Amino acid sequence: MIGLKGLLNVIDNTGALKVECINVLKVKTRLKSTGTATVGDEIVCVVNKARPIPANEVIKNPSSSSNIQKIRKGDVRRAVVVRVKKTVQRVDGSVVRFDDNAAVLLNNKGEMLGTRIVGPVAAELRKSKGGAAGAGGRWGKILMLAPKVV
Amino acid sequence: MRVDRCDFSGYKVYPSRGKVYVRGDSKTFRFLNHKSESLFLQRKNPRKIAWTQVYRRMHKKGITEEVAKKRSRKNVKVQRGIVGADLASILAKRTAKPEVRAAARAAAITKAKTEKRDKETAKVANRGQSNAPKVSKQAMKGGKGGR
Repeated sequence: MIGLKGLLNVIDNTGALKVECINVLKVKTRLKSTGTATVGDEIVCVVNKARPIPANEVIKNPSSSSNIQKIRKGDVRRAVVVRVKKTVQRVDGSVVRFDDNAAVLLNNKGEMLGTRIVGPVAAELRKSKGGAAGAGGRWGKILMLAPKVV
Repeated sequence: MRVDRCDFSGYKVYPSRGKVYVRGDSKTFRFLNHKSESLFLQRKNPRKIAWTQVYRRMHKKGITEEVAKKRSRKNVKVQRGIVGADLASILAKRTAKPEVRAAARAAAITKAKTEKRDKETAKVANRGQSNAPKVSKQAMKGGKGGR
């Protein structure tokens, strides 16, 4: 249940550590829509806390140091929710709950910004179909990179 | 159907019951009910809470009946024949009366004695027949006695 001003940990290697939700990308006026984000939903977020960028890297080559664009505090990005504290009911009757809310940052096309994921992700990511990744559903790449899918 | 165990209480968790909790270090825990979950999140030790299975196992609760059952078993003797003597002959020997047995023993002794005597007499008779001229061992070797 991620809504406006909801805080999430970032579990990829983009450099962002903590983000705040500023919009949930859903049609909130629809009858069955909750308007809050859960696992597999896309959000817009602002970076509240980021890993500091080393000073020498900025001086040497300010424009293109590496493929990964560095994330700074205050950046606005899209992200996908991968873990939620609120319980999620599954089709087989089981109920799963995580320790924290977590997200993975995306670019405007819906592709992952980072190249690595630390920590487990929820299996609900498999449910969303289509998207850029193709075969593995929309979040196939995240599921592939994650060390554990619970 | 898969039945799991509650990670706190040790009770059975049937499908559609309980809750799975995934910790930050990606360890998963299964709880039967909110009571167990709550106590786990309070970092209570199940070994110190009296109703959990771990505690009961530690303090040997509710296992006295099994012990009593085990003790009631006894060895049962069965009569059966062994090699060289079947059951019928053993039983016959055991049921025979003392007088009969004594008589049988006496008969056996007398029989053995007569047999021995016969043998000895036969031996003596044999010795008498084959009485060859005596030659001392020294003579056979070509000693003094032969000259």
